Amino acid sequence: MTETERLALRAYSRGEMTAIELRRRLGGASYGDVLRLLSDEGLPLPRAPEAGREAQLTRARAWMFPKHVA
Amino acid sequence: MSHDLKLFVVDTGPLITLAVARSLDYLLYVDADIVIPDAVLHEATRDAARLGAQDIIDWVKGRRASVEIAPTKAYEIFDAARASIPDLREPDLGERAAVEVIEEPDRLRGNERGLLLCEETAVLKRVVVRDRERIVEISTLDFLKILEAEQRIQSAEQVFELAAQAGRLASRAEKLRDHDDATRAAIHRLVRRRDEG
Repeated sequence: MTETERLALRAYSRGEMTAIELRRRLGGASYGDVLRLLSDEGLPLPRAPEAGREAQLTRARAWMFPKHVA
Repeated sequence: MSHDLKLFVVDTGPLITLAVARSLDYLLYVDADIVIPDAVLHEATRDAARLGAQDIIDWVKGRRASVEIAPTKAYEIFDAARASIPDLREPDLGERAAVEVIEEPDRLRGNERGLLLCEETAVLKRVVVRDRERIVEISTLDFLKILEAEQRIQSAEQVFELAAQAGRLASRAEKLRDHDDATRAAIHRLVRRRDEG
């Protein structure tokens, strides 16, 4: 993987680039390839960067399944 | 459709991932109104040969009663412009349409709340919301993990495995056998890292 491709992968992981754009920059890589490269580089899956994330997810779960969350 | 919870699918990522894993119906496992901005649906399906596109089209057609395709000015203008420029592309069209839909004054009334399901956008940062406490942004994996925790699905990880396998089949069939174990191991590591993060 070239440094340019590595930078693109990092941008994707930070949520700053779409998967489609990343796959194009990786020469038509598949989604499976992207997952493997993320893992190999020690990078996380992209996610919405937000403070208090766990609280947000707890809230989302309570909204989705109100009867099942204390 | 009329629930206190609105599930807005605000970019193409969740649709494509769930479609290629043949799991789009998971969106209906939550007691919520499903809202997909027209431009997001367009971006996910404009080329029927693209990964998951035909599955998404079929799913939306079959779930008309449960899924609202929200019309937007952004897409209307884009669609009109395509009459003179057939190959027109607007990279942020889906995001603009999503922002437009979420900001509609009547979208969240009374005690209604909104979940923004997205993969790569930061729509919430662009939305002018009167009460941010009523909106939460989650990823496909977050959504699936919640379903798994609620025992509505067997495994969130399995959905990503299926999606990865479908992606590989679509574009690199020759590498299928060699990469099976590698992809599976990568997904395990990514999901575990996510849980620990």
